[in-house]
Amino acid sequence: MKLLLRNVLKLALLLPLLFISHNLAAQSDYTGQSYPTQTFAITNATIVQSPGMVLDSATVVISNGLISAVGTDVSIPSDAEVIDGGELFVYPGFIDGMSNTGAVRPEQMERPDNLFTPNPPNDYAGITPEESVIGQLDVTENSITSMRKLGFTISHTVPYGRMLPGSGSLILLSDEKASYDLLLKQDVSMFTQFSGAPGAYPGNTLGIMAKWRNLFTQAGYNKEHEQLYAGNPGGIQRPQQDLALQAFYPVIDKTKAVFYHTNSMLEARRAMKLKDELGFNLVLSDLEEGWFLLEDLQESDIKVLMSLNLPDEPELSEDEEKSDETVQLEERRQEAYDRFLSQYGEFKEAGVAYGFSTMGTSSNNIKGNLEKLVASGLSEDMALAALTTDAAEILGIGDIAGTLDPGKIGNAVVTTAPYFQEDSKVKYVFVDGEKYEFDTSESASSEVSEEAEELLLGTWDYSISTPQGLQTGQWIFTNDGGTLTGLITSDAGGPDNDMNNLTFLDGNLTFDFDFDAGGQSVQVIITGDLSDTQFNGEASVEAFSMSIPVTATKSPN
Amino acid sequence: MNRFDMNKLSLLILLLLFCTQPLKAQVSTGDVLIKNATVITITDGTLENTDVLVEDGKITRIGNSLRTPNGVMEVDATGKYVMPGIIDAHSHIAGTSINEGTSQVTAEVQMADVVDPLDISIYRALAGGVTAIHLLHGSANVIGGESETLKLRYGVTNPQDMMFEGAPRTIKFALGENPTRGARARGIQPQSRMGVEAMLRNSFREAQIYKQKWDEYRADNSRRKVAPTYDRRMETLVDILEGDVLVHCHSYRADEIYMLLNVFKDFGIEKLTFQHANEAYKVAPELAEFGAGASVFSDWWAYKLEVYYSTAYNAAILTNNGVTTSINSDSGELIRHLFHEAAKSQKYGGLTDEEALALITLNPAKQLGIDNRVGSIEEGKDGDIAIFEGHPLSVYAIPVMTFVDGVKYFDRETDADDQRLYVDPESTIEVVQIFDADEQHKCMQDAEAINLYEFLNN
Repeated sequence: MKLLLRNVLKLALLLPLLFISHNLAAQSDYTGQSYPTQTFAITNATIVQSPGMVLDSATVVISNGLISAVGTDVSIPSDAEVIDGGELFVYPGFIDGMSNTGAVRPEQMERPDNLFTPNPPNDYAGITPEESVIGQLDVTENSITSMRKLGFTISHTVPYGRMLPGSGSLILLSDEKASYDLLLKQDVSMFTQFSGAPGAYPGNTLGIMAKWRNLFTQAGYNKEHEQLYAGNPGGIQRPQQDLALQAFYPVIDKTKAVFYHTNSMLEARRAMKLKDELGFNLVLSDLEEGWFLLEDLQESDIKVLMSLNLPDEPELSEDEEKSDETVQLEERRQEAYDRFLSQYGEFKEAGVAYGFSTMGTSSNNIKGNLEKLVASGLSEDMALAALTTDAAEILGIGDIAGTLDPGKIGNAVVTTAPYFQEDSKVKYVFVDGEKYEFDTSESASSEVSEEAEELLLGTWDYSISTPQGLQTGQWIFTNDGGTLTGLITSDAGGPDNDMNNLTFLDGNLTFDFDFDAGGQSVQVIITGDLSDTQFNGEASVEAFSMSIPVTATKSPN
Repeated sequence: MNRFDMNKLSLLILLLLFCTQPLKAQVSTGDVLIKNATVITITDGTLENTDVLVEDGKITRIGNSLRTPNGVMEVDATGKYVMPGIIDAHSHIAGTSINEGTSQVTAEVQMADVVDPLDISIYRALAGGVTAIHLLHGSANVIGGESETLKLRYGVTNPQDMMFEGAPRTIKFALGENPTRGARARGIQPQSRMGVEAMLRNSFREAQIYKQKWDEYRADNSRRKVAPTYDRRMETLVDILEGDVLVHCHSYRADEIYMLLNVFKDFGIEKLTFQHANEAYKVAPELAEFGAGASVFSDWWAYKLEVYYSTAYNAAILTNNGVTTSINSDSGELIRHLFHEAAKSQKYGGLTDEEALALITLNPAKQLGIDNRVGSIEEGKDGDIAIFEGHPLSVYAIPVMTFVDGVKYFDRETDADDQRLYVDPESTIEVVQIFDADEQHKCMQDAEAINLYEFLNN
C-alpha cells in the first residue's frame, strides 16, 4: 500500500513534466508550421556542462523540451536534427535574476482628486502587492527577443510600478501565443522598491519605510484574525478581505522572498534593516554599490542579484594645463570606477554567490559589460555561474535549470567562440527545447536595421513644450560598431545625455533617459512614430505623472 | 615629500583605515591622553595645565601630570583649549530625505531610515569641533517624524554605526507658516494657526482612543480576541503621551509657543524643546516654568514674515530667565563655526564664557536627553572632545582636533584635500566648490518637490 502510494505520488510529480514539453512531436499539425523534429543533437562541440566543467568534442542532445544526454559517448537519436558543433561552444541557457523582460509598462494612472490624505488609494500610492506581473506580460514585447539573442532563456520578470508593484514570475524567453505559455513558475517573489507616489503618501524613503513596517505588522494581525475565524467563526467579527495584506502572508511565512530593488548601498542597508526588524527572506536586487556590504553579506542569509549596469569608464580631461587638483580628482574617480568593477570578482572570491539582474541595463550593453567584468577580475567560470547556477539557486530552480545535466529544461546557448570573448557570437539559443537560430555572418553583426539606417540615423532637432517653456536640442543617432546608439543634447546648455533602451521598429521610436532633479534621478520616457523626416510623440515622466508632446525633425545634413 | 604626495598618503591611510573597519554595527572607541591643556569643562570651571585621559572611549581621568598608560596616544595640547565636542540640536546634514511632507501627521516616519554616513558635511562639521548632531525631520507638516541623534563617526558606512546609541527618541513638530502654507496650497487643514492647534489636539485625542483599544485588547484574556487596527502613526503618538519621545517643535511666534505649552499641559506631555523660537524671549518665564527648552539662532531672522520680530539677545534673555537654551545651525555651513555663533551671545547679552559655551554643549545635550553622556568634560562621560587653538569664543579660534569616543576623526595637521568617502564614477569634474549655497536650508526639502509638482500641473 505504501509502495503504491509512493508510486502514485511519483506519477503525480512526473505528470506535469509531460505537459511542459507542450510541443510533443506526436501531435499532428494541420497548419504544417511546426518544426519537423523536437530532437536536436549538437555534436563534437566544446560543452560547458556547468561552470568549470568543460567537455571537449562532446555531444549534447535536447529532446522534447529537456536535455536528454550529454557527454563524449552519446548515441544520437534517429529523429535528431544534427548540428555539427566542431567550432561551437555550448553553455547552459542563461538566467536573468531580475528584469522587466516581457512586461509592458502600464498606462499612467489618472491622478485622483483628493491625494492629500494620510492614506491615499492603494493603487495610486503604489501598494499593489496582490498584483501579478502576468497582467503586464506581452508575448510580442521586443525585450524577449533581444534578451534571448544574448543567450538568456529564463527571466525572473517583475512588474512595473511604485513601492509594491506586485509579484514576479519566472518566464521562459520563448515565442508563444499567449502570455500564460511563457510561465515557468508563477508569482515566485514579492517585488518592492524605494519608489514613492508622486505628490502622495508615501512620497519618499521616509514614508515608504514606515508604510512597509505598518503593512507587514498589520498583515500579521490580519492573518491571525483570519485563522481564528476559519477555525470557528462564532462570535468573531468577519475579517475584511484585504488583498494587499494577504499578499504579505507568504512573506511572513517565509515561503516567498522579498526582492528589494536596491541600487545603492543606502537602499540596500534600508532593506537589510527592514529584514532585521521584521524577519523575511531578502534578496538584494539590482545591487550596484555592493562593495560596502561584502563583509555583512558573507555572514548573513541575504541573497544578492548584482546589477549588470556598469558605469561608463571615466575619460580624462585633455586639457594640457589641467590643475593638480583636477588630476587628483580624476584619479579618485578612476579608483571609484575600478572599485565598482572589481567587486564582482571579490564577491565570488569571498563566497557570496550572486546572480545578475539586467533590470536597469540596456540589452545593447549586456555582453560588453560581461566582458568588462571578466577583464576586471571576475573569472569566466564565476561569470557563467552568475548567469546560470547561482541565479538558478537564488530563484529556487536549481533542480530544473542552470546546467546542461540530463533531465533539466532544454535551455542552452551555442556560440562561435567562448562567450566572454569579444568576437564571440551567439549562433543558437535553445529555450524549452526549441531552437532559435541567429545569423552570425559579418554583415549581420550590425544590430542596426536597414530601416534605422535609412530613416533614423543622423541628427534630429527636437522640441518639448514643458510647463517652463519650449526646450530644444538635438538627438544624434549613430551606428556605433553595429549598435544603435543615441545622444541627447540640450540647447539650454545642460550636459549631454545617453539614450537608454533605444528601440526603433516599424517606424516606432522609443528610448528613455535619466536626468538629475536635485539629487533625485528622474526618468523620462520618449515614445512616438516616425514618418519620413518628422517625429511625433510624447515624453512621459512617471515621477511627476505627466506626459507632454514632443516633436522632432530630421536635419538635412 | 611634497604636499601632493602627503595628501595622497593621508588619503591612502584613510582608505586603509576605512577598509579594515568592521562593517557590523560596532562602534570604534579609542584611547588618548591630552596633555597640558586649558580645559573648559563647562560643569567644573576652566582648568589650566590639565591632562584629560580617555580610555576605551570614556573620559577616565582629569588631572595634572597624568601617567601615560601603555600604548595610549599622547597629544601635546600646551597652549591649546580643550572643550566638550560641540552638539548641534538642529541639523539636516547626513540625511537623504528630510520631509515626508505628503500628509500633515507623519509621526510614523523615522530619520533613522535616511541617515547618510557618506555625506561630506559630516567631515566639515567635525572640522568645526562638532561631535554630535540632532538630525531633524523637516517642518513641512504639523507632526513630522522621529528625528535621530547621531555621533559624527566619519568613515563608517553603515548608517547604524552613526547612531548615538542609547539616546532617547525625539520627534519634530512644526507650527506656523510652513505647515499652513502647504495646506493652503492644497485646500486642506490646517490653513491657520488655529487649525494647527486643532490638528494637534485631534491627533492626541485619537492616540488616547487608540491606546485605550489596545490596552483593552492586551488586558483581554480570551483566546478568541481580535487585535484592533495597528497603526504606527498612533503608536508613536501614544509614546509621546507616555513621555518616551522628546518633542522638538519648529516655531517662531510667542503666541504659537504659548499655545503649544497649553496643549501639552492639557495632555500631560512634559519633554519639549522649541526650535528656532525667535520670539521665545517674550515668553521666557512661561517656558522656564514649564521646563521647556529653546534651541535658537544667534542672529538670523527676517527670512519670512513670521520671523521679523527677532533679537540677537534671544539666547541671553532665555538663559537669564532659567530656560535651557542652545544655539543651533540648521545649516551645513553654520555648523562649521557654532563656536562663533555662541560667542555672539557675549556681544549681545553678556553671557559668561561658560554660559556661552553651554549653549553649544551641555544645553543641547540636555535638550536631547544625552547630558549623562556628553556635553561637558567630566570623568565617566564619553570622550567626545574638541581641541582649539585660541579660546573657542575668540574670533581667532581654530579647531585643530576632534575626537568622538576617543577616536580622532579630524586633525588639522593631516587634513587631506579630498575627504570624500564615496565618489561617483560617472561624475563630471568641475571647478571645486568648497561650499554649495543651494544646499543650505533643508527645512523644507522634499516638501519643495511637491511644490514643483503643483507648479508643473497648474
